[in-house]
Amino acid sequence: MLPEMPAPAIRTSGLSKDYGARRGVFDLELQVQGPEIFGFLGPNGSGKTTTIRLLMGMIRPTSGQAFVFGLDCVRDSVAVKRKVGYLPGDVPQFGSLTGEEVVAYLGGMRGGVDRRRVQSLCERFELDLSRRSREYSNGNKQKLAIVLAFMHSPELLILDEPTSGLDPLNRQDFYKLLREANDAGATVFLSSHVLSEIEQICDRVGIIREGRLVRVAELDELRKSGNKSLEEVFLGYFIEEPPKLLGS
Amino acid sequence: MTSVLFGLRLGRWGVLGFSIAAIASVFIQTVGYYQIAGHSPAEHAAFGAAITTLAAQLVALFPAPVRPDTVGGYVEFRGFHPLAILFAVWALVSSTGFARGDEERGIVEASLATGTTRVGLVASRAVAFAVGLIMAALAAGAGYVLGVSADRESVAIGRVLEESALLVAIGLACYGIGLLVAQLSPARSATAAAGGVLLALFLVNSLSRVLDWLTAWRWLSPFRYYDLSQPLPPGGGFDIRGFAALLAIAVAMTGAAALAFAYRDLGSALIAVPAKPRPQSHAPSANPLWRIAVVRGVYEGRFGLLAWSVGTAAVAAAFALLTRTVVNVMLQLPTLLPYLSIFVHQRLYPAVLGYTYFNVAQLLFAALAIAHVARWSAEDVSGRLEIALSQPYSRAAVVVERVAVLTAVGLVVTAASGVTLGLMSHYEGIDLDTGRLAAASLMLVPFALVFATAGALLAGWNPRAAVGLLGAFAFASYLDTELATVFKLPAWVQDLSAFKLFGTPLLDGIDGRNLALTIALAVLGLASSILLMQRRDVGA
Repeated sequence: MLPEMPAPAIRTSGLSKDYGARRGVFDLELQVQGPEIFGFLGPNGSGKTTTIRLLMGMIRPTSGQAFVFGLDCVRDSVAVKRKVGYLPGDVPQFGSLTGEEVVAYLGGMRGGVDRRRVQSLCERFELDLSRRSREYSNGNKQKLAIVLAFMHSPELLILDEPTSGLDPLNRQDFYKLLREANDAGATVFLSSHVLSEIEQICDRVGIIREGRLVRVAELDELRKSGNKSLEEVFLGYFIEEPPKLLGS
Repeated sequence: MTSVLFGLRLGRWGVLGFSIAAIASVFIQTVGYYQIAGHSPAEHAAFGAAITTLAAQLVALFPAPVRPDTVGGYVEFRGFHPLAILFAVWALVSSTGFARGDEERGIVEASLATGTTRVGLVASRAVAFAVGLIMAALAAGAGYVLGVSADRESVAIGRVLEESALLVAIGLACYGIGLLVAQLSPARSATAAAGGVLLALFLVNSLSRVLDWLTAWRWLSPFRYYDLSQPLPPGGGFDIRGFAALLAIAVAMTGAAALAFAYRDLGSALIAVPAKPRPQSHAPSANPLWRIAVVRGVYEGRFGLLAWSVGTAAVAAAFALLTRTVVNVMLQLPTLLPYLSIFVHQRLYPAVLGYTYFNVAQLLFAALAIAHVARWSAEDVSGRLEIALSQPYSRAAVVVERVAVLTAVGLVVTAASGVTLGLMSHYEGIDLDTGRLAAASLMLVPFALVFATAGALLAGWNPRAAVGLLGAFAFASYLDTELATVFKLPAWVQDLSAFKLFGTPLLDGIDGRNLALTIALAVLGLASSILLMQRRDVGA
């Protein structure tokens, strides 16, 4: 008897969200078999955030289904979120709550928070939790969102443009954190349009264009196709004649 | 010019809403006069006496009416005086919204980046608000003209324009004051500080009508200069000096605000107190309250809870303190005795106190519910709901927790105001039935929940419009209650008002049918909002 295969970290089947006027996501067939770091690439408005919100059960699909570790993202939404750490594309505003209170509040909703884990994350990113959320710079708000996504050491991290607002040093720290989480067995699904970071950290990439998944491939496989850089491959999907890149 | 148009564009819903409220309320009051005042001179005189009675009860809020037996005097009192308060609130929200709200959203920074000077920006937004005010004030005047014309009575257009000009002037004066206070206070407390200053100025003037020692200070209040004119009734007049004083206050305060804005850093108050050095923290708060559902919501809003408790308790105390004085004044007027006879079968003081206080308390609890709905809508827009739903917490639990927080807050606020009312009335020698007082106070909570669950439903449908729509529902409900008897509206129309559900529990005890209906409506609203929350998109 064959051993039962573990359910993929993410699986979508004919997943669509139609906002009308050709906006949304259409017939998405995607599988992310953890643990890996999967980069989700696409220009602004291509459907990256919509896909992520569908996976998180924030929005309901027009048709099709999405599963996280075999759990239906709509029906089993609460169970899904026990396993997931989420960083939204729009960093939430917590007004006059301090960072300490935000972490305690959301940790409380999660049923408890590992103080040592939070402490180590904050020290790593030099994030002072004693300050009010409204006083944080954009970068610090992003760091707080990173802490909230990683604080419970989730099995799956769903991150929507996670490095936006971070300075180069903190970006490197963040990439290291991703690698560590992945080495510890976590799967990472992150959207970005920063090609260099996708090249640096991802094992596989999916490219989405006008709501449709146009390519899923290993990064090495993409690189091998005609000795092109990821940037050239990416631009190839969006511009009929990609411009000569600087230095190429 | 572009900045003025941009300011108008940002405030277009406010202009539209207040214009509609102005024309509707004034028109209804004007038409209402012809419905209830009778036709003969004797009927008019009797009606005027009854309104004088009512005015005596409300003397701490509104100036005494001039010739309330005439349409001008009546509408001045019932239509335009409350509208002046409404316009002051509009001015408060607009001024602090521009000075600090737009600043937090980056709109001010973007505007200044275009090369607009700070003084120019303040001036353009003040002009935009003035244009909006003029439109709403003219709408109020139009409501009066339409109402009077419907009865084929002639209208002195000049007086109507004077009345509209007065509304514009009080609105601009309050706008200038709000704008200045907002420059001096930190962003997060700007609305509260400006609201506190305007409330204090209003009370200095209005309470000076019953407390002699305050008369020496009322020159400070713009509402004093508003009171000097009553252009509509015969025998009233338009005090040009009072009007000029209001405009002078508006110009001086707006100018001072522009100057303060020119000298302060964006995001800071003019005089910013340097932050105390704090030890850095890398750990979450150890406060266990954050871990307990409902308690964390109450704890987060603890300062608001304190303000609501103190505020409603102060209102209760003020009513208890003023009741004996007001009723004694009324008893000295023989023409008022028929009106008071409706309370004769009750004990007079408790009956008047119960009737007047709980009327205002209903409005306050509707406002408390609307304030919570505003917070829920803000959580949706700010992304906080999305991050909360990324925790293993069901959507139904989020809705239930929100309503439970409001219930807990409502219980604390009503306990504070109920106990204060009981103690202060006892101190004044007005003994209320303790059981009925407790029941009436508790009844305010399900009453607020009806508004809150309707608001939760609206917030689920359209978070940006929820507060406006709920406010409109509260306003329409209140008008329905106020005008039902005037217009002899059919019973089913009267039953549409949420305020009708409350009844008069301090006078007659709790009406079991009303209580059951109130609870049923709240439960229905809760269930519907849970269903809607489960089906809707969040963050889209």
